[in-house]
Amino acid sequence: MPRFKHEDLRDIPAAALMLLPSLVFLALFTYWPILRSVWFSFHDVMLGSPEIFFLGLENYTRLLADGLFWKSFGNTALYTLLTIPLSIICALLLAVALDTRLRGMAFYRSAFFYPVMIPSVAAGMVWVFLYAPGYGPINGLMAALGLPRLEWLYDRSWAMPAIILMSIWKYAGYFMLILLAALQLVPRDLYEAARLDGVSATRQLLHITIPLISPTLYFVIIIGVLHSYQIFDYVYVMTQGGPADATNVLTFYIYQNAFQFQDIGYASAVANALLLFIIALIAILAATLGRRVHYLGS
Amino acid sequence: MRHTLSKYWHHLVLLPLALLWLSPMLWIGVTSLKTKSEVFDSAAGWLPSVAQWSNYPAALSVAPFGRYLINSVLVTGSIIAAQLITITLAAYAFARLRFPGKNLLFGLFLVQIMFPIYAIFLTNFVTIRELGLMNSLWALIVPFVASGYGTFMLRQAFRQVPAELADAARLDGCGHLSTLWHVYLPLVKPTLVAFAIISVVTHWNDYMWPLLVTNSEEVRTLPIGLGLLAKADSGADWTRLMAATIVVVSPLLLFFVIFQRRFVDSFMHAGIK
Repeated sequence: MPRFKHEDLRDIPAAALMLLPSLVFLALFTYWPILRSVWFSFHDVMLGSPEIFFLGLENYTRLLADGLFWKSFGNTALYTLLTIPLSIICALLLAVALDTRLRGMAFYRSAFFYPVMIPSVAAGMVWVFLYAPGYGPINGLMAALGLPRLEWLYDRSWAMPAIILMSIWKYAGYFMLILLAALQLVPRDLYEAARLDGVSATRQLLHITIPLISPTLYFVIIIGVLHSYQIFDYVYVMTQGGPADATNVLTFYIYQNAFQFQDIGYASAVANALLLFIIALIAILAATLGRRVHYLGS
Repeated sequence: MRHTLSKYWHHLVLLPLALLWLSPMLWIGVTSLKTKSEVFDSAAGWLPSVAQWSNYPAALSVAPFGRYLINSVLVTGSIIAAQLITITLAAYAFARLRFPGKNLLFGLFLVQIMFPIYAIFLTNFVTIRELGLMNSLWALIVPFVASGYGTFMLRQAFRQVPAELADAARLDGCGHLSTLWHVYLPLVKPTLVAFAIISVVTHWNDYMWPLLVTNSEEVRTLPIGLGLLAKADSGADWTRLMAATIVVVSPLLLFFVIFQRRFVDSFMHAGIK
């Protein structure tokens, strides 16, 4: 039994009162749903029906044998593992290019950042138009350049890359802005010294810039993981999981099972798989990148 | 000389990229002024021959966008007002009070950052149904009243406030609440503004959750209204749809253009410190 100093106990009533409003809502809309999703996954629960039957592990054995589950799991992993590195590399290069007291800085910043302000539904819809096979401007441009026209969102192998490309447009500006703030804290004389020693720009980036902003890069990667949930909106608006489930992802598969097939129990099992995927991804990131992060001055 | 040359190169690379990034927005604007046939005619060129301003009133008359706008304002306004109260109180407790289990509790607040509504919408949907809140504005507000991220940001800011200032106020007989109000809050205004901006952008644009819990015009928000219009049109009338898109995205973009510095600073420094 740990012992507390008198002082430690005096604040308890005040702390309890101040934490209570948050805790009530967190309990109701964060903790309870997570626990309940675990509970539901062991049961047969139908949407709108009060009856619940215990199933044991049946939902999970079904999950392991469900090809569509594995497909949407693979698509989720593919989307996350491609979108995050690509948009962060893009963001880093933009940030480095902008970190030079350039004229027109405000213009460039806004041009790259504004997609963050646009609702996901509007972004998705506009890109459906841009990708339209017949009259869409992207195909128009490709034809003008002598490239083959693509079916984009209607093509099994191009639908996911199309959504990834759109996501880079949507989020790179956000990551760029956070990285730009970190770059501005890197001491200028380090670059001066490197330049005098004849170190090339690429090596400066790899050996000075990236190590020094590594805590921020790590933070941006984590934010990227959390933003990748939003793919639901794009899939819902742009493809409804198609063609032939080429863009079906876990969040959308949960939605289909729950609201199209009314099977809350099985949908909960899929939801738990998603939670495990996110926990595992963040744990791996923390164990690999998190340890190697270089904190300036600490 | 070398310097000016390298800056010239910067523009040479950045300007086309910036235009590429802007092109979807320009395309929306241009299309919103075209005629229907110009959209599908590849020989018609990139610009409308005559700007069709009538697409705007036509878009606004197919759905009650006024109602959607009011709902969006009510929902976003209520969320941020409630969040500012809950995060201020919780962040103060975590930053300045001493109590057992503090780290564990703080960890529990951070759980919410890892599992946003997108991860747990299913069981939240069941809860909202059981609470009888389906198809009401409440359903769009209550899941977001507490904010782990806001509590985290504000706790960091509160910790920067010198303890002597708070101690002096306490010696003058101020309770926790008046110390919070008179000493802490005025000093962390930039953080409050930063959080408010990020929260407003997030919830103003919310799509999945409102989609699940609303099913009538009275409670729909702007993004949902736009999504419905897109579904109804299904690519038949892009001009009207793009005009509606301009109307829906312009409030935030307008604020962004006017308060650019504030927005940029908020997003820039949200994660750092």
